[in-house]
Amino acid sequence: MPVSAYTQVTELSKDAHACLTFGEPDDLLDLTAAFVRDGLASGFRVVVLSDSPQLAVAKLGWREIAAEAAVAAGQMVMAASQDGLVGSQGFSAEQAMGWLRDQLADSRRQGYEGTRVALDMGWALRPMTGIEELPVLEEEIAAAVSGAGMSVLCGYDRERFDPVTLALIAPFHSHAVAAATYYDDPVLRICRQYVPPGIRLAGEMDFLTTDALALALGEAIRIDGDITINMANLSFIDASSIRMIMEAAASLDPSRAVILRCRPAIEARFAQLGVDRLPQVSLVGVDER
Amino acid sequence: MNGNDRQPDPASSGDSAILADAEADMADGEVRLDLDQAFDSGTLYALRAAVQAHASQAGLPESRTDDLVIAVHELAANAVRHGAGAGRLRMWERDGELHCEVYDGGSPASSVQSGLGGESGRAADEAAGPGGNMADRWPFLQGHGLWLVRVVADQISVFSGPGGTRATVVFFLCGKDPSVSAPD
Repeated sequence: MPVSAYTQVTELSKDAHACLTFGEPDDLLDLTAAFVRDGLASGFRVVVLSDSPQLAVAKLGWREIAAEAAVAAGQMVMAASQDGLVGSQGFSAEQAMGWLRDQLADSRRQGYEGTRVALDMGWALRPMTGIEELPVLEEEIAAAVSGAGMSVLCGYDRERFDPVTLALIAPFHSHAVAAATYYDDPVLRICRQYVPPGIRLAGEMDFLTTDALALALGEAIRIDGDITINMANLSFIDASSIRMIMEAAASLDPSRAVILRCRPAIEARFAQLGVDRLPQVSLVGVDER
Repeated sequence: MNGNDRQPDPASSGDSAILADAEADMADGEVRLDLDQAFDSGTLYALRAAVQAHASQAGLPESRTDDLVIAVHELAANAVRHGAGAGRLRMWERDGELHCEVYDGGSPASSVQSGLGGESGRAADEAAGPGGNMADRWPFLQGHGLWLVRVVADQISVFSGPGGTRATVVFFLCGKDPSVSAPD
């Protein structure tokens, strides 16, 4: 079952200070995409800070978020880490908070009743002066969001940040957020995909783990609408697993589409097992990584 | 699609089409055993990794290596799920062909020579149940997995004997023309 100690990213309140810990870049992107999508849909102003804003726009794009249009309309801002939280003289909590307060002030001036800020905290892994003030920044963000109509999502890579740092900054957050995970071991990971809705499989999938696959598919089916099964990072799948996915697709109302994102080798397996007999299923190829 | 869309050739598979097995090949003295690896449900991942590495090294193109990996996995999965619960993979190269034999009857040498079978051979007998015949032991040619094996392999042969079931898939290495080499 999905880990219940975490808050779902889709259920964050209007003034949340959420700590998103992720093990894979896809998790950060997916959960950020959900945070952005819901913020835009609520009519809030959305600020996304990352190392590469252009890349982030493209990656949000395939997740069906019209980032470019939102930026053009002024509802969304894509900021680079070095222009936001980090200054030319290194890092200081005071300067970073100044940037964040400016974002909130801009939103209010433009009449937005809410602001969502997604921060990829990867920049804090680089050696720089003042980085010991990171917990100070998190503490001040906690104070700033309270009652301000602003929510902040801080993304920390749990593989790269040391446990001491994570333990220091975690208590300043009001929520812990992570992808709902159905299965996770060194060979395979099955988790929920939030945008577009569905599930994500990474690693190698075979009949030994079809119980977890059944659980994940069952939850995806219960949510309305089309289902995306993202297998972009899946390098192997066996016939039992393919059969289970095809049976799940076949059980759906024909009005619901099932989109399979996969590499050519996986695409071939689905074709060999007759996926073309299921009209609601479409295969979307992705390049090998 | 790199030959992945070929349909299985009924004439080249099935119990009647017995290809030379490992013992016969070894007797020729012309082949080298590339891989000899026991597997059970906990080691299928390692088995796939080993098969992939050896197939690449033997010069099998990437897409065909993927095909070989799925073929071996599905045969091994059958042994794990419907056969003895464990088995042995042997892989060798001969005359521009890559042969992979999946055997679910314990140590092939002892079981073939003595007809008694090893530990897992007895397990297979028990799994078959009282009065169970060989066909029940490993329901070959059923299910999507074995369909997939027949789609991707250049040749396939299956032999059930007192010691267990032995399935061999053959993949042609590059340069070998399947239309010339495929048996009728």
